[in-house]
Amino acid sequence: MSNAATFDTRTDTAIPVESPLAYSYRHSGAPRAGDSSRLQLRERAMLGHLILRGGAIVLDEAVRDVLGLNLPGQPQALVQDASGERSIQWLSPDEWLVIVPGGEEFPLETKLREHLGSAHFAISDVSGGQTVLELSGEAAQELLMKTVIYDVHPSNFPVGKGVTTIFAKATTIIRRPSEERWELVVRRSFADYCYRWLLDAAAEYGVNVEQ
Amino acid sequence: MSQSKQHKQQAYRLNTGGRIDRSRTLSFTFNGQHYQGHPGDTLASALLANGVDIINRSFKYSRPRGIVAAGAEEPNAIVQLGNSEAAQVPNVRATQQALFNDLTACSTNGWPNVQRDLMGLVGKLGGQFMPPGFYYKTFMAPASMWLTYEKYIRKAAGLGRSPMEADPDSYDHFNQHCDVLVVGAGAAGLAAALAAARSGARVIVADEQEEMGGSLLDSRETLGDKPADQWAARVLEELAGCENVTLLPRTTANGYHDHNFVTLHERRTEHLGDTAPVENGHRQVRSRLHRVRAGQVILATGAHERPLVYAANDVPGNLLAGAVSTYIRRYGVAPGRKLVLSTSNDYGYRAALDWKEAGCDVVAIVDAREAPAGDWVDTARAQGIKIISGSAVIEAKGSSRVSAARVAKIDIDAFQVSGPIQELACDTIASSGGYSPVIHLASHTGARPAWRDDILGFVPGLVKGVQACGGANGTYALGDVLAEGVEAGIRAAAATDHTAQAVSLPSTDYLQQGPAVALFQVPHEKPTLRGPKQFVDLQNDVTAAGIELATREGFESIEHIKRYTAMGFGTDQGKLGNINGMAVAARCLSRSIPEVGTTVFRPNYTPVTFGAIVGRHCRDLFDPARYTALHQWHVERGAEFEDVGQWKRPWYYPQKRAGAANGERESMAEAVARECLAVREKVGILDASTLGKIDIQGPDAREFLARVYTNKWEKLAVGRCRYGLMCKDDGMVTDDGVTSCLADNHFLMTTTTGGAAAILEWLELWHQTEWPELDVYFSSVTDHWATMTITGPEARKLLGEITDIDLDRDSFKFMDWRAGKVAGVPARVFRISFTGELTFEINVQANYAMHVWQTLFKHGETYGLTPYGTETMHVLRAEKGFIIVGQETDGSVTPEDLGMQWAIGYDKPYSWIGKRALTRPDTKRENRKQLVGLRPKDPKVVLEEGAQIVLDPKHAIPMPMVGHVTSSYYSPVLDSGFALAVVKGGHQKLGETVYLPMVDGQTHEAEIVSTIFYDPKGERQNV
Repeated sequence: MSNAATFDTRTDTAIPVESPLAYSYRHSGAPRAGDSSRLQLRERAMLGHLILRGGAIVLDEAVRDVLGLNLPGQPQALVQDASGERSIQWLSPDEWLVIVPGGEEFPLETKLREHLGSAHFAISDVSGGQTVLELSGEAAQELLMKTVIYDVHPSNFPVGKGVTTIFAKATTIIRRPSEERWELVVRRSFADYCYRWLLDAAAEYGVNVEQ
Repeated sequence: MSQSKQHKQQAYRLNTGGRIDRSRTLSFTFNGQHYQGHPGDTLASALLANGVDIINRSFKYSRPRGIVAAGAEEPNAIVQLGNSEAAQVPNVRATQQALFNDLTACSTNGWPNVQRDLMGLVGKLGGQFMPPGFYYKTFMAPASMWLTYEKYIRKAAGLGRSPMEADPDSYDHFNQHCDVLVVGAGAAGLAAALAAARSGARVIVADEQEEMGGSLLDSRETLGDKPADQWAARVLEELAGCENVTLLPRTTANGYHDHNFVTLHERRTEHLGDTAPVENGHRQVRSRLHRVRAGQVILATGAHERPLVYAANDVPGNLLAGAVSTYIRRYGVAPGRKLVLSTSNDYGYRAALDWKEAGCDVVAIVDAREAPAGDWVDTARAQGIKIISGSAVIEAKGSSRVSAARVAKIDIDAFQVSGPIQELACDTIASSGGYSPVIHLASHTGARPAWRDDILGFVPGLVKGVQACGGANGTYALGDVLAEGVEAGIRAAAATDHTAQAVSLPSTDYLQQGPAVALFQVPHEKPTLRGPKQFVDLQNDVTAAGIELATREGFESIEHIKRYTAMGFGTDQGKLGNINGMAVAARCLSRSIPEVGTTVFRPNYTPVTFGAIVGRHCRDLFDPARYTALHQWHVERGAEFEDVGQWKRPWYYPQKRAGAANGERESMAEAVARECLAVREKVGILDASTLGKIDIQGPDAREFLARVYTNKWEKLAVGRCRYGLMCKDDGMVTDDGVTSCLADNHFLMTTTTGGAAAILEWLELWHQTEWPELDVYFSSVTDHWATMTITGPEARKLLGEITDIDLDRDSFKFMDWRAGKVAGVPARVFRISFTGELTFEINVQANYAMHVWQTLFKHGETYGLTPYGTETMHVLRAEKGFIIVGQETDGSVTPEDLGMQWAIGYDKPYSWIGKRALTRPDTKRENRKQLVGLRPKDPKVVLEEGAQIVLDPKHAIPMPMVGHVTSSYYSPVLDSGFALAVVKGGHQKLGETVYLPMVDGQTHEAEIVSTIFYDPKGERQNV
C-alpha cells in the first residue's frame, strides 16, 4: 500500500446531507414545464467521484481487476459498466475520473491502493466537490450549443465520449453516456451558476427539473 | 405627394406580381401615421407602396431623405422600432425589416419632426458653413465647451436611441461548428451549398434576407427555361431535407474573425413582433449570435450597385436602378410613376424594362456610353423606350420629391458637360454606375482587396480557407455565377475531406452585354465646389465637394480623407459610397483608383443589437458566483457578501441594533467590532471553505514542496502542519498557506482563495516542464472539503462537546492535525491559527457541512459562538501582523521585505523557485520597501489604505515618498487605529515618526512599530 493517508469521508449514520444544488432548489426553484417540456434536467447527487492519476498501464490492470472496466486509453473516451452506474473517463494523459454509486468510492480507493502497491499513482476523493447534471430531451443538444464551446454534433460527439470544456464562463466536464442522455460534471461551487444558466437557456424549450 | 393629407391606400402598389400575399393586410404606423401593407413586404416596400417619400432628415445638413436601396446598403431609411419603451430598437434599416401587424416605427433623424425640421434651416443656411472637418475646426476650442456642443450636435444628429426600460427578451450565443459556411443564399451561395451538401459535409447557409434566393427572387432571367426563383425553391427544398445542412435565414454574417471564426446575427423573431412570441407557454429567444467555427468559408455575398454621383442625387425619388427592379418584381411596388434612368452599363436597363412592364412611364434611358449595344438595350429600343446616349442625369430637381431630371451630354475624360442641357419631367430617377462586390467580410480578416479594371470594382483579398464566388468575386453573368458557386462548394468540401458529388446546373440564357463605362461622379455645368451638392455618402452627408476640399487641404491618403470627411463611417461602413468617394479622390489627386486604394471595412457589417452581443452573460448570469456549502445559512443570517475572485464570502453579519424599534441594523464598523471582540474574548466561526486546497501525492511530494516553497519541508512529520511561502522565479511572494503532512508521501496544500487555480497550474507547469523526474501528482480538492474555522478562548470547549478527537493541549498541539468525527461526521481538524487565538479548522466533506455548522451553533450558544466574516478576519490577522498576499504584497515584495527571513531556506540541498532571484543585488538592497506596523499618533485616526508615506511633510512638492499603507483598520482590543505599511528601509526605522499627507490637506502622524500589535509572544494560540 502506498504511503498515503486514506480517509472515508462518509458516515453511515442518518446525518442529513445537502447536494450542491440544495441552495439552488430553494433559491431558484425546480420548474416543471409538464408535457410541453423539451428538456429534462436531473441532478445525480451524492455519487462517488475519484480522480485517478498515474501511468495508464498500471492503472489499467488495477481497474480491470478491481472494477471490471478497462481504463480508457484513448483521449476523450468514457467507459461504463453494463449498468451505467460505474464509469471511467479520460481527462488527460495521466488523469481519469471514476464515478461510482455513492459510498463505493472509499472501498474502491482502498482496493485500488492495495492492488497498485508501490507503483507511483494518486487517488483523490472529490465526491463532495462535484456533482453530475443530467440532460435529456429533444432540445438537449441545442441547449448544450448555447452553453459549451465544444462541438456537440453527434458526428463529433458520439456516445462514449467525454471532454473538459468551457461552460458559459465556468468549466465543465461533458459526457455522453447514451444516445438520449448527456452528463455535465460541474464543480460544487459553480453548480448554482450552472443550474441558473441551464434554466435560463432552456426556458424557451420548457424545462422539467426532476428532484 | 404631400404627406400631410390622408393617403389613398397603397397608391403605388401594383395589382399583380411580387412575392407578397395580397390576400392579407397588415397595419403599421410610421411617424404616427397609420398605413397598410402585406405579408412579404419590408417596412421600406410598404412605405413606398403608400407613397411615403421622406423617411429621415440627413445627418449633417438635415435634408429630406427617402429610400434609395432595397437591402443592407440602404443609407437613409434607418428607423427606430418599437411600440413600447422597453421594445425600442434603434438603427434598423427599413429595407431589412419585415412588416408585421402593428409594427411601429419612426425616423431616427429629424428634430422636431421629419416634415418640418428645425435643422433644415441650419442645413439650408448653414450648409456652406459646415465644410468637412467642421467639427474639428469649429468645436476645437475652448475644450471645456465640448460637452455643451456635443449635447446639441448629438440631439441634432440623432442616430436613434436606446430603450430606457429593461428588455423583456432573451438572447443567445450559439456555438456552431461546420465544415463549410456559405454566406449568402443567392445564385452563387445556393450552388455552392448544394455542391458542399451533396458531398456530405456539414454545411451552414446564412442569408440576411427574409427569404433565401437573393437576386433570383427578382430576376428577369430563366433557369432551365423556368423563372429563376423556381430553381432557388427546388435547391432550398433539397437543402432543407439534408440532415447535414443548417439553413439560417434572417441571419447576417456580421463579423469575420481569425481562424475562420465567423459571427452570425440571427433575427429569430424580429419579423413577428416587437418582442419575442410565447409558444407553448415559453417565451422564445429573440435573436441569436452564432459563433461559427468553420473549416471553410464561402463568401457569396453578392454585389451592391453603385449609384451615380450627380447634383441633388439625395432628393427623395432618386433610387438605385436595381432597387427599382427589386421593388417591382419582389414586392409589387412601383416607387413612382415617371422614370428617368441614368446608367453606365447594360444592367441598369433592367429597371426601365421592369418599370415599363409594370405599366408605368419610362421617360428616357440616359446612357453615358456613346453607342450602347446589348440584348437589354435592344429590348428597350424594341419597346420604344427613348435612349439618350453619351449623356447622364447631371442634376435632380425637386425638394421633397424629384420633379425633373436635368440631362446633358457629358465628356467623361474631360470631366465636363459637353452639350446642351434638357430638363425631363419625372418623379423618379434611377441610376446605375455598375456593381461593387460586397467585400466587407473578407476585409474583416485584414486581407487587402484588389482592383479589377474589367469589372470596375474591388474583389476581395482572401485568407486561407475562404473563397469568394459570384457577385462577391466580380462575376455577374448568371451561368458563370452558378458554375463558380458549384466549383467553390466542391473545393470547400474537398478541403474538409469530403468527396464531391455531381451537380448538374440548369441552362441559362446567355445575355449579350456591351461594355460598361467607368463613370462615378457626373460632371455638372458648375465646378464641383460651387455647384449643387453631389452626395457620395448619403448616410454621413459627404459630398463630392467635401472630398475635393479635403484633397485641396492636403489630405492624400484615403484613410485620412475618410476620417476628415466621415465617409464610410458608422453603421453604413461605406456600402454605397466608398468606391465613388475613392473615384472622386482619385480624380482630384490625378491618380487611378487602385493607387488611391480602399479603406478598411470593419465589423459589424450591419448593426447588431447589444442583446445579441451580450447573450445570456448579463444580469445575475454576468459572471459566475461561487458559493460554499454554507451559503444558505449566511444568506439567512443576513450576511453582507464580499466578492473574492468569483466567490461570494460573508463580509460581516450585521445584527439588529439592540433596542432599535425599526429593525435598524448595525453599521459595518459596529458589526466588525462586535465580531472581533467575540473572537478575542469567546469564540467566533468563519466559513473558510474558499481557501484553495491541493491534494499532493507521490514519493517526491516532500521534495517538490521544498522546491516550490521558500522554506524547508524535510522534517515535517505526519500529523503536523507548516506555513509555507511561495515565490515566483523573480523572488517575489506570490502565495502562502498552510500545508499539512497527511502521510509520508501525501500532503494537503492550502492556497489563498484567489490563487487556487493559478497555483495548481503553477505546480503542474514546474512539474511538467522542469522537474518531470519528480514522482508527484496534484489534484484540486478545494470544493470537496468545507472548512469551518472556530477560533477564540472557548473554541476547545465548544469543539469538545461534539468530537471524539482528543483535544488535550499536549496531545493535539498548535500546528497539529487530527482525524476523527465532529458532529458524527468524519473530519480532519487542523490546529492552525490566522487570528492568533486558539483555533481549530474543521474540514468535512462538503455535503455534510451544513449539518456540522448547525450542530456547532446548537452547542455554541453557551460559549457565545459568533459568526464572523472576511472583514473581521482581516482585522484579527492584521493585529497579529499576518500578511495577505495581494494586499501586503503586489508582486514586488520579497519574503525578506516582509521580515520573513525565518521562512527562507537558503541552505536547502537543491535550488527552489526564487532562490537565485533573492540573491540579486536589487533584492538584497537595504533601502527596499519593507513591511512595518504603523500606529497613528491620534488613536482615533484610521489611516487610508494606499496613503503615501513621507519623512518630511514640510518638504517642497514633490515630496519624496518612502512607502504606503497596505492594510489599515480600527482595532477594538487596542481601541485604536493601526496599520501595516511598506516603508523604504523600514526595518531599521522602528520608533521613528512618519507623515501621511492626505488629499483633504490634513497630515497624519504615525510611529513605525512592530507588525505584531497583539499578543506579541503568540501565547494565545498555544493554550
